[in-house]
Amino acid sequence: MSRLTSSAPPSDGTVERRLRGVSLLVVSVWMLLLTRLFYLQVVQGDVYKVSAERNSVRTQRVQAPRGAVLDRNFEVLVDSRPAFEVLVVPHETEDVPTTLLRISGLTGRDLDAVRKSYGTPRGRARFQPQRVAHDLDRDALASVELRLWALGGVLTQVSPVRGYRFGPSAAHLLGWLGEVSPEQLREKEFQSYRLGDVIGRGGIERLLDSDLRGRPGGRNLLVDAHGKELDLLSRVEPQPGRNVVLTIDHQLQLAAEAALDREHKQGAVVALDPRTGEVLALASRPAFDPNGFATGVDPEVWRALTSDPHKPLMNRALQGQYPPGSTYKVVTAIGGLEEKLVDPHTQVYCGGSFRLGRRTYRCWKKEGHGAMDLHKALVQSCDVYFYKLGLELGVNRLAYYARALGLGSRTGIELGGEMPGLVPTKEWRKLRDGTTWVEGDTVSVSIGQGANLWTPLQLASAYAAIANGGTRHRTHILKRIEEPDGTIVRTVEPEVVSDVAISAATLARVRAALSGVVNEPHGTGGVMRNLPGGVLAAGKTGTAQVVGMAPGERIDSEDLARQHRDHAWFVTYAPADDPRLVVAVLVEHGGHGGSAAAPVAREVVVRFLELEQGLYAGN
Amino acid sequence: MQGIDRRLIQNFEWPLFTMAVLVAAIGIVNLISASPEQTVTGMPDTALRQLVWLGIGIALMFAMLIPDYRTLERFALPFYGVIVALLVTVLIGGRIVNGSQRWLVLGPLNLQPSELAKLAMILLFARLLARRSASSPVGLRDLIVPGILIAIPAALILKQPDLGTTLVVCIVSASYLVLTRVRVFSFVLLAAFGAAAATAAWVFYLHDYQKERVFTFLNPERDPLGAAYHAIQSQIAVGSGGLFGKGFGQGSQSQLDFLPEQQTDFVFSVLGEEWGFVGVAVVLVLYLGILLRGLMIAHSSKDLFGSYLALGVVALFFWAGVINIGMVIGVLPVVGVPLPMLSYGGSALLTCMAALGLLMNVSMRRYIF
Repeated sequence: MSRLTSSAPPSDGTVERRLRGVSLLVVSVWMLLLTRLFYLQVVQGDVYKVSAERNSVRTQRVQAPRGAVLDRNFEVLVDSRPAFEVLVVPHETEDVPTTLLRISGLTGRDLDAVRKSYGTPRGRARFQPQRVAHDLDRDALASVELRLWALGGVLTQVSPVRGYRFGPSAAHLLGWLGEVSPEQLREKEFQSYRLGDVIGRGGIERLLDSDLRGRPGGRNLLVDAHGKELDLLSRVEPQPGRNVVLTIDHQLQLAAEAALDREHKQGAVVALDPRTGEVLALASRPAFDPNGFATGVDPEVWRALTSDPHKPLMNRALQGQYPPGSTYKVVTAIGGLEEKLVDPHTQVYCGGSFRLGRRTYRCWKKEGHGAMDLHKALVQSCDVYFYKLGLELGVNRLAYYARALGLGSRTGIELGGEMPGLVPTKEWRKLRDGTTWVEGDTVSVSIGQGANLWTPLQLASAYAAIANGGTRHRTHILKRIEEPDGTIVRTVEPEVVSDVAISAATLARVRAALSGVVNEPHGTGGVMRNLPGGVLAAGKTGTAQVVGMAPGERIDSEDLARQHRDHAWFVTYAPADDPRLVVAVLVEHGGHGGSAAAPVAREVVVRFLELEQGLYAGN
Repeated sequence: MQGIDRRLIQNFEWPLFTMAVLVAAIGIVNLISASPEQTVTGMPDTALRQLVWLGIGIALMFAMLIPDYRTLERFALPFYGVIVALLVTVLIGGRIVNGSQRWLVLGPLNLQPSELAKLAMILLFARLLARRSASSPVGLRDLIVPGILIAIPAALILKQPDLGTTLVVCIVSASYLVLTRVRVFSFVLLAAFGAAAATAAWVFYLHDYQKERVFTFLNPERDPLGAAYHAIQSQIAVGSGGLFGKGFGQGSQSQLDFLPEQQTDFVFSVLGEEWGFVGVAVVLVLYLGILLRGLMIAHSSKDLFGSYLALGVVALFFWAGVINIGMVIGVLPVVGVPLPMLSYGGSALLTCMAALGLLMNVSMRRYIF
């Protein structure tokens, strides 16, 4: 112990002096606390007693009107319409079952639905209003309000309902709303949300939720034991959400959807402005009507949608991945020209089939195309020419040129869930299933069958780069975000991702051939001829095999059961010499590209030219 | 050792022990009333659990009496290191409740290392100050190392995020400045630095909901839904208690679930509502008794380390008490700081009991030289 004693340094009194000061401070602070408590409890005690006894403050949240979504011409696609809702405060309602029964009668809503919506509130929730009926019109509201005096604990309030003006049109990209989930509420990101708030669940609604939703306000009401409002204590006005302007041209969107819907086609249409990467139309079918979700989706409707084998919730334009079929041939052609394996005069003979080892790979034209140069081979979509060229290039060089066009990676559109597609290489095969890439695989890949997977958006983006002379833009759908008073919050400018590493001469040759596809005899894209105003288009057909067939075997697609039929592609741009529009169409199980997909693309292009020339008058 | 033990027992710190146990007992009774799952016959789960924690706490308090506090000086740095390591562990693998990652799961118990950090800071600063000569004035350069030593755990706790505990850790550590001779110039610079740090924390570190609370305090009309609701409801509860209170289990505000966090941060409003000004005054006087007794122990300690140790414990109880009660009665913004010995929370109670044990340890050895 003595060791420790000696280590104690001498004190000089500083600490002691300060200790006296500290004691004084502590005592005075405590006196202040006691004084305040005396004031609260003894002086003001009766006032607080009254407010506690009379019951308390009821907080009502006032939702902000959600912002509108408009197309590039300021046509309103989504906005909020006024509606009303009825709420019940459990704690203030003496006989809940009877009250719910009366509300059901007055509003004409199903009693079970009313009961379900009320739920079984416990604990804190018993003091908070429970919504029992929503999306009521003025008449239903009036009949409830007339009897409010007899219904203790019942209140009504304005609650705008989201309106998707065109129902299923553009549903995938606009998205839908749902109530914020308890899981989300537990996360920091959703701190400002409360149970029962709506939140964007898909598309633009989800992407821009924080802009669109605005800031909810609130009212603190003093209520008595019967739920009667005595006084408005304080009020904070809600801040309306921001408006969003899209790059979409809704007239074009409607044309694309109408063309797909005409024969109940399942698939996607993408229309881009090749000069900027702006998405002008983005259609996916089958679709759904987000209006059904706006007021709380019925679980059965939801289950039906999510379990539908046709996957109506999937945005095929950016989430559907399909083999590119003959639309791939531009990659093989570009590779051949860039690597100088062929020149425009190189002739290859197509006798209708191509032998590699013991296997025979057929051309789609059984009798053969005869002597083909690169231009003719693209125009007539000769398989044998590209089998041979692809084999010379090898899969990795093919992959290089596919990637140069942006294939195998996301195009960068703002919407969530975009798929990257797939560009196979030898290494990829090795990694995936440990097998070795064989030349036969290269043969399939060189005409766009086999492992390649593209989304319709990627196809449109790749052809946009070909069409505009080699510039890849980030695809985007958002043009502008504005405050309700019109102040611009954010403007999205076109963004160049890269300049494609392909020579201008090669691209010019490919463009000439794509123009030939439409405008020359034997071209597979003849559907695109005779456009309004004499505009010339360019394009490429594609047919993607769905069933893995024995090598060399070809079955005429029209003969197959629908789900085994090939996917039909068509990609086009117009005008051919100064492209202002790229359209990619995919029709699932449509059969041939030229007959199933090209007519859809034609309708979109025609509509675009009409709109451009102002040939239509209003809606 | 036998002789020392007998003298220790003779010098047992009865006043502090009695006051501490009284406050803790009031805390348990109050928790019974504050628990929503209250049953007529049995004890509610939270109060029962707190009682078990109190038992462990008293045992810990006695355990803290056994080693001579001067030997603890050696453990100050290692203990600090262990706490920092635990705080890092919490951020990596801790349990998340209400968006905050504060707890380490140890079997059936959840440990909150940020509570123990308060103890570590007290030990560390008592050691640092005791080692330097008290007569030489403190310049800015002398504050760099202590500043870093505060900043490390403070940043880790703020990251959880737990603004309240961060605040207490910083304020308790900074309180030691009062006891040293800091040059006026240094003090001004330090204040400027503090303001800059607070601004930086505001911009980079604070979450929107925390900023919202400060705004709400400055202007309660701003958000009637959030923090202002807490403040309004808790003032109604305390105020409506009147002189004698509404009686045990009779508070309409507490029993009807109007009070937020009424078992933890707002437990004092339950006390105010059900026991009135009289009950609140009793608790405040007991608190003051603990604080003044602590200051007396600091005064009578024969070495500087003991003095500083005692002062740290006093600072901990003082600041936590002021911040919490100030928040409940609407004179300070809503910050999540539990009320020592009254709020529900095992780690906090253990920390309090251990700290009081240290205080008693210093007191009981003041004659042994």
